[in-house]
Amino acid sequence: MPAIRNQIRELRAAREMTQQDLADQVGVTRQTVIAIEQDKYSPSLETAFKVALALGVTLEQCFQFDPSGKR
Amino acid sequence: MASLSYREKSLYASLIAEVVIYVPYFFLHGHDSVIKVAAMIIGIIILQVILQTVIAVYTRNRLTDERDRLIELRGYRAGYFTFASLMLLGLALLWFHASIGHLHLDSARMSLHFLSVFFGMLVIADITKTAAQLIAYRRAL
Repeated sequence: MPAIRNQIRELRAAREMTQQDLADQVGVTRQTVIAIEQDKYSPSLETAFKVALALGVTLEQCFQFDPSGKR
Repeated sequence: MASLSYREKSLYASLIAEVVIYVPYFFLHGHDSVIKVAAMIIGIIILQVILQTVIAVYTRNRLTDERDRLIELRGYRAGYFTFASLMLLGLALLWFHASIGHLHLDSARMSLHFLSVFFGMLVIADITKTAAQLIAYRRAL
């Protein structure tokens, strides 16, 4: 399991927001949103905050850290 | 191509340009002429300008982000390690040939040969850099 996991896909679906919508709000490419959702890329703290802000949730609701997970 | 980001399309174009220009030079035409090296450099610049312009015109979203920058750095790291390894190998071969007396550094042809080998190392490192970046994009990082 990856060290940092997220609920972006579920949160985005609940708000009927597309990957492109989220990417535009955060200021990243759609490919980066896809990579984050698939737990293949851990964003910077700044981007993580922007994602949480765009989804209207706290950082902890959006991202979780598993100390036993691999980086 | 629609699912590719602007940077990824640009990298594919760079790789195509590098392979199309460099490979024929090193494997078909030999490498003993300054004019051929100059023609190759001009050729790659022209091809890159054409390809990058076409991609820029046909790509609506030309945004680059932190992940693009991280992938770019990884590519440069791969390219640097390749170049450093080739330089070490080249120096070892140079030392070997010098030690057995097969090296004649005073000839103009030998100097040109060294220049060409050095340029070849740069080309291989550049192609490695671009390929490493494309692999990182395909693996999502």
